[in-house]
Amino acid sequence: MSHHTITLTINNEAESLTVPSHMTLLQMLREKLVLTGTKNGCAAGECGACTVLLNGEPVNSCLVLAVECDGAAIVTVEGLAENGRLAPIQQAIQESGGVQCGFCTPGILISAHALLQRNPNPTDDDIAESILGNLCRCTGYVRIIEGVKEAARMETAVI
Amino acid sequence: MMKDKTSIPRVDALGKVTGLAEYPGDRVPENFLVGKVLFSEQPHARMVSMDVSAAEAVPGVVAIFTAADVPVNEYGLIMPDQPVLVGLGSAKPYSDISLWECDHIAIVVAETEEAAATACAKIQVKWEQLTIITDMFEAMKDEVILNRADGTNILKKYQIRKGDMAAGWAEADVVIEGEYHLPYQEHAYLQPEAGVGYIDEAGRVTVEIGGQWTVEDQEQVAHALGLPLEKVRIIYPAIGGAFGGREDMSLQIVLGLAVMRLHERGIDRPVRIVWSREDSIRGHHKRHEAIVKTKWGATNDGKITAVSAEVFMNSGAYAYTSTKVLGNFHLMVTGPYEIPNAHLDSYAITTNNVPGGAFRGFGGPQGAFAAENQMNKLAELLGIDPVELRLKNILKDGSLLTVQTPMPKAVSLTQVIEACADRIGWHSEQLTVDGEQFASVQSLISNPHALKKGRGFACSFKNVGFSFGAPEKCDAIIELHGKAEIEKVILRHGAAEVGQGSHTALKQMAATAVGVDVSRVEIDMSDTASSGNSGSVSASRMTFMAGNSIHKAAEKALEKWANEERPAIANETYFPPATQPYDPETGVCMPNFSYGYVAEAVELTVDIETGHIRIDRVVCANDVGKAINPMLVEGQIEGAVVQAHGYALMENLQLKDGRILNPYLSQYLIPGIKDIPTHVESIIMEVPDPIGPWGARGMAEMPFLPLAPAIVAALHDATGVWFNEIPLMPYKVVEKLREHA
Repeated sequence: MSHHTITLTINNEAESLTVPSHMTLLQMLREKLVLTGTKNGCAAGECGACTVLLNGEPVNSCLVLAVECDGAAIVTVEGLAENGRLAPIQQAIQESGGVQCGFCTPGILISAHALLQRNPNPTDDDIAESILGNLCRCTGYVRIIEGVKEAARMETAVI
Repeated sequence: MMKDKTSIPRVDALGKVTGLAEYPGDRVPENFLVGKVLFSEQPHARMVSMDVSAAEAVPGVVAIFTAADVPVNEYGLIMPDQPVLVGLGSAKPYSDISLWECDHIAIVVAETEEAAATACAKIQVKWEQLTIITDMFEAMKDEVILNRADGTNILKKYQIRKGDMAAGWAEADVVIEGEYHLPYQEHAYLQPEAGVGYIDEAGRVTVEIGGQWTVEDQEQVAHALGLPLEKVRIIYPAIGGAFGGREDMSLQIVLGLAVMRLHERGIDRPVRIVWSREDSIRGHHKRHEAIVKTKWGATNDGKITAVSAEVFMNSGAYAYTSTKVLGNFHLMVTGPYEIPNAHLDSYAITTNNVPGGAFRGFGGPQGAFAAENQMNKLAELLGIDPVELRLKNILKDGSLLTVQTPMPKAVSLTQVIEACADRIGWHSEQLTVDGEQFASVQSLISNPHALKKGRGFACSFKNVGFSFGAPEKCDAIIELHGKAEIEKVILRHGAAEVGQGSHTALKQMAATAVGVDVSRVEIDMSDTASSGNSGSVSASRMTFMAGNSIHKAAEKALEKWANEERPAIANETYFPPATQPYDPETGVCMPNFSYGYVAEAVELTVDIETGHIRIDRVVCANDVGKAINPMLVEGQIEGAVVQAHGYALMENLQLKDGRILNPYLSQYLIPGIKDIPTHVESIIMEVPDPIGPWGARGMAEMPFLPLAPAIVAALHDATGVWFNEIPLMPYKVVEKLREHA
């Protein structure tokens, strides 16, 4: 099995890591870096619990090889809060009741965060489109949509 | 969205939005070993031999445990009928026989995941194939006995004999007969099973895992390992959903066994097991597949005169909670109505399929599907409005159940039905089709003339707490700390937090009971080393049971506080009114001590050319007695509605010869964000339960029950066709509509 050394930033921290060629980004995050906020719900790109930002785009980290991330910028749920302050989406989703068991939450936060970055005033359809790849079995999604709308209002208020 | 001061955010939300909350699979203990469970892959076969020598020789393998290593090779929540490990060399009778494709046969412990997987592949097993029985009616013939200890495949039969059936049928002006087929349902909680085992600082075999009842897990682990109870400790970290699917054991015993045996060999390293999604879907129980054959009679003016029913429930390979699920099913198959004459026979049947077990509603959804469809069909036949027909027959205070005992006080079915009908505008004008595209099938351009709209109604009742004489109690410990004033309250409680919000609601109740702000309450939960016996988070019972124990514990602690005790510590065990098992002949019993009540109305659009259904609106009126945290209550209603929406429309577990064919989320589809109803409206009603804490009733299962039959009624309203089977997948809808065209 061959190994590769890659350099990348994870949540704005520079990292240099040697990884086996078959290791996924999800495995690297959870097992090598112990960033366990990113969840493994299926390891097959079916549930979205492992969603992270790869160069600003949400991806299923279980479907990306670690070696593909050489030179990339990765953001995980642990990187959403800045300077000890929660990102609006983190604040809003808990206040709206969009969290129950919480296992899908990190992936949903990342998907919604990416949406709000490119579209500060999303419609309900935009929100649904952005969370299409994230399964939630607890909430029925109603409060997740409310939470994303609330986060959009909070972001706009900050600007 | 409901916003008031009691709708506080969850106590665990911060950890969950920052990624810091630790779920069982997130635990990375120092120097841990990887465990892997090998499934038999045999729905029915006898083990002839097993050779682990090649597997043991794989570099990195530390140990392999088999049936011979299990001290007491049996477990089970209601009866110990399942071997911990199927295999040879164990004293448990018949433990060499695999009855289920996912019977566990070995635990491999290794340095790495790869070594464990390689070793599993090198375990050589020879099997003698036995006849696989998956059909319930085939199993009932008892020509091939699966349930060898009992000598019959009928795991349980209940019956109810009430009144005079001949008189009931004679009195009936109309009779409706129906046969209903209910599918399996997979819990599909987002967190697959995982856990960590280790020996703790006090020398206890400790397992950190997701479950629903710490003390029950502790008792079962202790039993199988032949250890005294106090030598086993169970801790629940954050749990990624349960819905009944963690009521039975997953990895508790095998993790305990591995660390105990390693310790005996002088190896004190933690063992971690993490299941894949495929392992999870194949390896845990399901909502039961069932068939109901039933006949209802009524007078022309809409009074039900008689109901007969036969219930057949596929229990699969092991009992799990099947006998209890059957009990609920049996009670709820006649719906929340006064039935003067009833003749009911219900069977739980052992087969080589995946075990059936607990899942939100616990037999209630299957019962409600039959009862509510019958009611809606009767309404059509009699030309009586379905809401009016329900109100004519509905259970009220003092009404006798089919088991011939009265309902507990404060039955609010009439109120929930009226509130729901009122909100949906039940008696309003005909619905009009808006012609909008269906979000989930945007590639299809619908023919506007193919879109039909309909409205449907259903209602249900569901017990709160353990039923039919099962021992029922709940402990709470309240500590009051401070000097002149109470500075800190500590609540110690066993309640599992599976996502439903129990820890938040219990903390709020402790604050109210003591009379302090919720910020002064600390919680110590879900650890058998400190938190007592809560009973399980199931049967919509935890708010009710824990609330009563917390209320009383707080009262006692405050009395000690008044007597200058510092800290003032009080324990309380709450016992609700006793219930009774079914009489074997007549079914007469006091089944339950409390119920929750719910009514749902649905508006939908169906494309009769493609069979696609869009749920436009769901109104749910749920009497919760008292909403401790209205935001959490609404979250439970919305979540239950969407889970039931999946059950009714899309969730389709496929089995063949005892094997699950679609154990992936790309093949077993659960609702995504674009599949859900366009509008879900919750009406939270608060008719106090006289024995509930602050009047609270249980509520989290109830909204699941009426949705599927309400959808079927709306589909009938739209198309004129009755559907007796779910899920209502497009191809099935079209097929049936064509039959009737």
